[in-house]
Amino acid sequence: MQVMIAEDSVLLREGLSRLLVENGIDVVGSCTNADALLRGVRGFQPDVAIVDIRLPPTYNDEGLQAAIEIRANHPSVGVLVLSQYVEVGLAMKLLADSAEGTGYLLKDRISDVKEFISAVRRVAEGGSAIDPIIVSTLLSKRRSNDPLAPLTPREREVLELMAEGRSNQGIANKLVISLRAVEKYVSSIFSKLDLPSSSTESRRVLAVLLYLHA
Amino acid sequence: MATMAADAMGTDTEIRDPPSSATLLVVALAGAAAAAISVFLAFASDHLDDPAVRALLGIWITTPYIAAGLIAWWRRPDSRFGLLMIVAGFATFLNLLTWANSLVLYSIGHAFDFLPPVLLIHLILTFPTGRLEQALERWIVAAAYVLGVGLALVRLMLGGVEPPTLFQVVSDPVAALVVERIVLLGLSALCLAGVGVLALRRRERGRPLRRWVALLIDSFAFGLLMIALLYMAGTFGWPAFESIRRMAFFVIGVAPFAFLIGLLQDRLARSSIGDLMVDLQKGPSPGDVSAALARALRDPSLTLAFWLPEFGRYVDLDGQPVDTTAGTGRASTPIDRDGTHVAMLQHDAALRDEPELLAAVTAGAGMALDNARLQAELRARVDELRGSRARILEAGQQERQRLERNLHDGAQQRLIALSLELGLLEESVEGDSETRERLDRARGEIAASLEELRDVARGLHPAVVSGHGLAVALESLTARAPVPVRLSVAVEHRLPETVEIAAYYVVSESLVNVAKHANASGATVEVRTAEGRVVIEVIDDGIGGADTELGSGLRGLADRVEALDGRLRMWSPPSGGTRLRAEIPCK
Repeated sequence: MQVMIAEDSVLLREGLSRLLVENGIDVVGSCTNADALLRGVRGFQPDVAIVDIRLPPTYNDEGLQAAIEIRANHPSVGVLVLSQYVEVGLAMKLLADSAEGTGYLLKDRISDVKEFISAVRRVAEGGSAIDPIIVSTLLSKRRSNDPLAPLTPREREVLELMAEGRSNQGIANKLVISLRAVEKYVSSIFSKLDLPSSSTESRRVLAVLLYLHA
Repeated sequence: MATMAADAMGTDTEIRDPPSSATLLVVALAGAAAAAISVFLAFASDHLDDPAVRALLGIWITTPYIAAGLIAWWRRPDSRFGLLMIVAGFATFLNLLTWANSLVLYSIGHAFDFLPPVLLIHLILTFPTGRLEQALERWIVAAAYVLGVGLALVRLMLGGVEPPTLFQVVSDPVAALVVERIVLLGLSALCLAGVGVLALRRRERGRPLRRWVALLIDSFAFGLLMIALLYMAGTFGWPAFESIRRMAFFVIGVAPFAFLIGLLQDRLARSSIGDLMVDLQKGPSPGDVSAALARALRDPSLTLAFWLPEFGRYVDLDGQPVDTTAGTGRASTPIDRDGTHVAMLQHDAALRDEPELLAAVTAGAGMALDNARLQAELRARVDELRGSRARILEAGQQERQRLERNLHDGAQQRLIALSLELGLLEESVEGDSETRERLDRARGEIAASLEELRDVARGLHPAVVSGHGLAVALESLTARAPVPVRLSVAVEHRLPETVEIAAYYVVSESLVNVAKHANASGATVEVRTAEGRVVIEVIDDGIGGADTELGSGLRGLADRVEALDGRLRMWSPPSGGTRLRAEIPCK
């Protein structure tokens, strides 16, 4: 698997490269700004581009714009956006109409090596990785009549993990329950929330996020 | 006052004292005597038909000039105009000596045959200062004197009149007639040129002049026109000569009356100074002073520019800098008080024709203007203060922004890198579960520190606003709010950063208040742009009755909004619900 990194802090760029390489992932290039990233993506067509949201020259939204551009022009390249703060509004902007091959994580997450590597792999394979903070913010969003009320605590947990982009197997591993049990929870959730069941995991991520965001 | 009037006129008019009453009386008596003598000469004349009519016409075209000239001289010693009128009147009297039976007087009278129209041209072209200001005018007048005095004398020397005068050298009636025609046609042409100059001058002055000035110029022009007609009629022997002559005499006699009406209006205008004083006694606002001055000077286009020595510039009523260079048809008059320059009055150039009125008005208005100037200065200071408040806010914001960036690029990155290092270490000690556990705890501590740093950074400066705009930032803010919030952001473009950040703080602070005090079950946040302003409204359905005196949190918010020239208002009726509304101009 090939990865490209755009991160302007040398400390983190090196750290990330090492982390990926030690876990058997090729780092085909690393750069410090959006233009170099876009050139690299065009040239190498990596499986994933890991992008810091705050890149020079203005440190505003160059990274986000580059991520959106890659998503639009290179659908085969997964994009994992890293940031020191995560914002619901930015998540929705990044995902737009599909969560396929897209990740948006707090930078802190890289220190949990196993989790992070699995997120990179998920994005590379067309899945999603949404930061738990985004999901919990959406879940805890106050609503006048809470549509999540009918869910059992276990179902809420499953919903949360689902929204983060985890596969059924991932959820089963995380909660230490059987795959069958997860499948049962998922179908129950979908029927309680009156959501059409989705064919792929990334589609169901978007469906859940949009549902929670509404 | 006289100095000011002279300055106001922008000319080099000399300053003269008004003539003494004795002088005026002597001249008046001389005029009366001249009139009496002319009547006597008319009736005693052995060669005059219709002496009554001729005498009456003679007096009609002379005494008004002397009388009006006297009044003008007395009222406006600065201007030679009055003196010229008197001279014109007496010169015409001298011409009437042709009625005399004595050969000497008769000859002298004929020497002045053409002087009255020449003086009239001179007089008319020097209005209102009594001086010829332009080369063209000087040429016209000089040519008139050459024709009316020089050639007229040649005509007499050739024996141009019957019976011959003392000036006659040879008797050549044909040559004399030619010379006479040259004089008549030449003067006609010069009269017409004078009319042209008057018309041009009237156009140059622009704007409707005050009525009496227009009337005066019209009557002068008409007079010149009549003289031109009269001389042409004389030259070509038009049958209507006699009617034209009477008409011309009538019109020429009317001009001084127009002048007198003007002076009278001046007096009336001066009574408007009384009204002005009453207006100014009321301690009017600068705008009222300006309006009162416009009324007193009958110039609705009048504007005031206050001089602010500390700022070294002129400002208008609102404290905004203004350009005081006078445009076409405009003039400026400085207003001083106690030797200090206070203001500049910008007005219709036609007001120069009434220097006394202008001087009286400006002198009377000095004090009120000084007050008005202080108010304008105050406004300018408020503007400056507002500017410095905005700059302080801006500087503070930039400093906080810098700190946030330092945190982001420094401590936070290092902690993340450290945490990553621990994570990698954790991976490498596969078997040692105790070390793993301790490393995991350490990572947990770092995660907590990062969480705290994030809060600090966010408190310093909402980077998401600068980076991604108000809509994105508010979305997260309202998603985290402790009550359901309906958010609507109708802002098409990015706004200036300071405005976006102020708007962000307005919403975040309001939502904090809603959570703390309102006991609300929901809130609405609405942000929209309208007419160059961004309007932010936060409405909750809580218990209301909040302290609208703006507590410290809201006060700081109001300061921030006001520093950007905006307004922050809060309504919180005891019946329930609180509504906060901020409006900030987007420049």
